[in-house]
Amino acid sequence: MASEAQTPLLEFVGVHTHYGRIPILKDVNYRVYPGEIVCLLGGNASGKSTTMKTILGIVKPTTGKVFFDGEDITGLRTAERIKRGIATVPENRRLFPHLTVLENLEMGAYTRKDAEGIASDLERVFELYPRVFERRAQRAGTLSGGEQQMVAFARALMSRPRLIIMDEPSMGLAPALVDQSFDTIAEINKQGVSIFVVEQNATAALSIANRGYVLQNGQVVMEGAARELLENEELKRAYLGG
Amino acid sequence: MAGTFRRVADVFGRIPRWVYIVAALVLAIVFPMLEQAGLMQTLWLRLGTRTLVYVLLAVGLNLVLGETGLLHLGYVAFFAVGAYSTAILSSPRLGIHWNFWVIIVIATVLAMLFGFVIGMPTLRLRGDYLAIVTLAFGEITRMTFNNWESVTNGPGGIPGIFPPNLFGWVVDKPAEFFYLLLASVVLVVWLLNNLKKSRVGRAWNALREDEIASHHSGVRPTQVKMLAVVLSSGIAGLAGAIFAYYQQFINPTYFLFMQSTIVVCMVVLGGMGSIPGAIVGAVVLDATPEIIRQAFTQWLPDALGSDFLPGVQTALQTDFDRYRMLIFGLVIVLMVIFRPEGLLPDQLWRREVHDEDPRDQEHTRQHLFDFEEGEKDLEV
Repeated sequence: MASEAQTPLLEFVGVHTHYGRIPILKDVNYRVYPGEIVCLLGGNASGKSTTMKTILGIVKPTTGKVFFDGEDITGLRTAERIKRGIATVPENRRLFPHLTVLENLEMGAYTRKDAEGIASDLERVFELYPRVFERRAQRAGTLSGGEQQMVAFARALMSRPRLIIMDEPSMGLAPALVDQSFDTIAEINKQGVSIFVVEQNATAALSIANRGYVLQNGQVVMEGAARELLENEELKRAYLGG
Repeated sequence: MAGTFRRVADVFGRIPRWVYIVAALVLAIVFPMLEQAGLMQTLWLRLGTRTLVYVLLAVGLNLVLGETGLLHLGYVAFFAVGAYSTAILSSPRLGIHWNFWVIIVIATVLAMLFGFVIGMPTLRLRGDYLAIVTLAFGEITRMTFNNWESVTNGPGGIPGIFPPNLFGWVVDKPAEFFYLLLASVVLVVWLLNNLKKSRVGRAWNALREDEIASHHSGVRPTQVKMLAVVLSSGIAGLAGAIFAYYQQFINPTYFLFMQSTIVVCMVVLGGMGSIPGAIVGAVVLDATPEIIRQAFTQWLPDALGSDFLPGVQTALQTDFDRYRMLIFGLVIVLMVIFRPEGLLPDQLWRREVHDEDPRDQEHTRQHLFDFEEGEKDLEV
């Protein structure tokens, strides 16, 4: 599905970031092609969260560029990037706990102004997640972990994104829900949305991904097709509990 | 007691909203007529007029404190800016006598501009830090007016502020000021109510709930917070302008830190993020001490003989301001014990305080943890 001739949907070119003087990402290059699921693996303090923040524009690279669909978005604000089609499922989901589910979904469409488009997307999301529809009037904080996860996905979809970035989507979920959660991600991907997912749960993430990157101390130390990474001995030892 | 309160509140909750709005408006319109018909002492009309100034301030602060969740402790500074602009531009002090409408616009816009300038550096701060900086700013503003003698006449204040002239209608009686303020309140509340239901209103609430998540949804936190601060500053400026006209005299002691605190108390008492709450909070907190004073110095002695608690009588007569704060404190303590969500809470806040779903508490803990960790921390 992903061919090297295509323009990548998301591309990092030689990105360095710093917090103060401390270097975090060091010459990082990522590519996410349209329709792909790309998985980012890495331990603590490897630069995963900074990657997420750099994609969103919360952290700006000191050198290097970020491209979205061939356009340089390095200098754009978060809101602008979301308008162009990047949505997030943040770490711990971060729903608005005291807003209703419906209000949460409306916040997902915050950057959009086409009322009809939003209404039809709302319907689509409700069709996709009947459970979310059932809970629409309930405030998000009272939902179970799995339901909250669905709302977080639904909220991300409400901006009609081309790329969803997910930060540890399996975190804090009951083991039974983890697989379901990855099924959902694959499902969303089938609708044509590219996905860039950061995960600790490497096996599960790689099983649905096309490709993967391994980050260590702010540098990409390994990259390749998900299948190859799954069989890599070194990686198995480090992340896959093999 | 709390249970009874809620049952009674439920009964009243079934009455449609517009009934309350109409009733409150009718009551407000009739109120000054009572004085003119000789049924009520002027004292109460003056109190009512002052209360309406507080109502404006409370709904204005509610925008920042209640809707957006920013603890702003220097709100009185913007009130002072509005009042001083009016006093300077419409008094013999510098011999300027500009038109009412021009001054109202200047006072409002100047206060907004002030809000913008203060917001620039402070809105990046969170929670306690914002509170400290705004508190200091409020004091700096008062000190400036206190020391800028060439313009403000320092502690001596500015007397003889000319009454406003609205297309030939000279407003100089308490009843007229009451109606002028009432019109401003209606206008401001209408505006704020529409904003609350708009996209930006949702953004304010989302920001209060989770700043990072709202940022990830495309809200620009600083911009949206700034809008709330600037608008609420404008409301305070407007209130200050009318207040200066009404008092005909202002000096820096009207703008003490205590005033900011009182307005915060009104918003908290009424219910954070609730416009009707802010109105009721202002009315209750401004009227209760006066009613208690009247009760102990007039009504009770009249009914029970003039030797009724003479000590309390003299205390309230000579040192009322101090007891006023005591009563404020008492009201707030009672409210926090029996009705922490405020007298007329916003639906949102009602949910927040009373529900005790364990999953919520877990989330709150999580949230606290995230909050402490901070967005800019070295979390890699």
